[in-house]
Amino acid sequence: MASNETRRRDILEAMIRVVGRQGYKATSVADVIAEADVSRTTFYKHFEDKHECFLAAYDLAVERILDEVIANCDGERTWLERVRAGLTTIVDLFALHPELARTAIVEVAAAGADARQRHWDAITRFTEFLADGEDLAEGRELPEHIALMAAGAVSGLIFEELLTGRAERLPELLPDLLFALLVPYIGPGAATEEMRRAATG
Amino acid sequence: MERAGGGEPWRPPRGRHRLPPEVVARSQRDRLLEAAIRLVAATGYGAVTVGDLTGEAGVSRTTFYELFGDKEGCFLAAYDNAIDVLVRRVIAAYEGEGEWPERAARGLTALLEQLAAEPQLARLSLVDIGSAGPAAQRRYRAAVQRLTPLFEEGRDFAPGGRGLPANTSRMAIGGVTGLIADELLAGRAEALPGLLSDVLFATLVPYIGPDAAAREVERLTR
Repeated sequence: MASNETRRRDILEAMIRVVGRQGYKATSVADVIAEADVSRTTFYKHFEDKHECFLAAYDLAVERILDEVIANCDGERTWLERVRAGLTTIVDLFALHPELARTAIVEVAAAGADARQRHWDAITRFTEFLADGEDLAEGRELPEHIALMAAGAVSGLIFEELLTGRAERLPELLPDLLFALLVPYIGPGAATEEMRRAATG
Repeated sequence: MERAGGGEPWRPPRGRHRLPPEVVARSQRDRLLEAAIRLVAATGYGAVTVGDLTGEAGVSRTTFYELFGDKEGCFLAAYDNAIDVLVRRVIAAYEGEGEWPERAARGLTALLEQLAAEPQLARLSLVDIGSAGPAAQRRYRAAVQRLTPLFEEGRDFAPGGRGLPANTSRMAIGGVTGLIADELLAGRAEALPGLLSDVLFATLVPYIGPDAAAREVERLTR
C-alpha cells in the first residue's frame, strides 16, 4: 500500500499533467483524482482545495526544473558554458514534458495572484545562476537588474512558443534563447557568435 | 472616450433632467467601462459579476444589457478602450524628431508614466492578463504588437542590425515587461517612472550592446 507521502506526490504529479493538458480553469478535483487514481477522501486529506493543491504542484514543478538545471550545470566550468548547459536542460526538459512546461510557464498565470507571485519568485531564483555573468563586464558598470532583463527576455520567448503549442520545438529556439540571455552582458556581436555555435551544435 | 481611468467620471445630475438620452447612455457606458477595469483588477475576472458592475457604476441591470451583451463584452470593451489610449500615447511620444534611442526614451517614459498613473490597468495588462481570459490575452498581444516598431527600429539604427535574430524585438519587449512586472508585483506601480534607465537599457542592448546602451542611457536620462 502506498504511503501517505507517495500518494501526495502522485496527486501533485497528476495535477501538473492535467493542468498542462486542459488548463487550470478547466481542471476539477475530479479530473485530478481520476488521473492520480486516488479517492476524493485521500485528496482532501492532503489538500484544502484545487487551488492549494495546484500551488504545491507548482512548487514541485519548479523544484524538478531547478534540480535538473543544477545537476547539469555543476562542475568546474565557465559561466558561459553553465548558461548554455542550463538553457539546454530547460528546453530539453520542456520538449520531453510539454505538460510540465505549460503548467509551469503558461497556466500558472491563470491560477490567481499568489500563483503569479510564486512564478515570479521562481524566475528570480533562476536569475541567481546569472550572478557571475557580471565578471564578463570587465570593469564596466552593468545595470542593477541586468539578470532580471535577461530572464524576462528568455521567459517571454518560451511563453510565446508554449502559447502557440510548440513545446516540442523549444530546442530549436535554443540559439535565440542563448542570444537573449547573453546579449545584455556581452553585446550582439559576441552573442551572435554564441548563437551560431549553438545552432551548429 | 479619451480617458483611461483615474478620477471620477462625469455623472449626469440626479433626478429629472433634460440631457439628451445619448449623453446619458454615454456616461453610463463610461462608468461601466471604468468599473470593469477597477473590479477585474481588484478581484480577478472570474470573481466579477454583472451585479458587481452595475452596483459599482450605479447603473441598472436593464441598461447594462442594453449596452453590452454580457460581462465579457463589457470587460473587453473596457480593456480595448484603456489599452488603446495607452498605446496611442506611447506612440505619440515616440514619433517625431530625433534618433531612435532618443525617441525610444520618450516612448518608454510615456509608457512608465501612464502605467504609474493607472496601476490597475498596469496590473491587469502585465501581471493578471492570464486570468482575464484568452480574448483579453489576444488583445494584450495585439497592443504589444503595435508597440513593436519602438523596439524594432533598432535594427536600422544599429550597425549590423540586419544580422540580428528575427526574435530580437520580442527579447527586448520581454526584458522590459519583466522589469515592469517585477515592480508591479512588489506593489510599486508609482515608482515605475524611476525604472527608465533600466528599461531603456533593456530596449537598446540587444541592438547596440552594453557599452553603447550604457552611454545612451547616461546621455538620455541625465
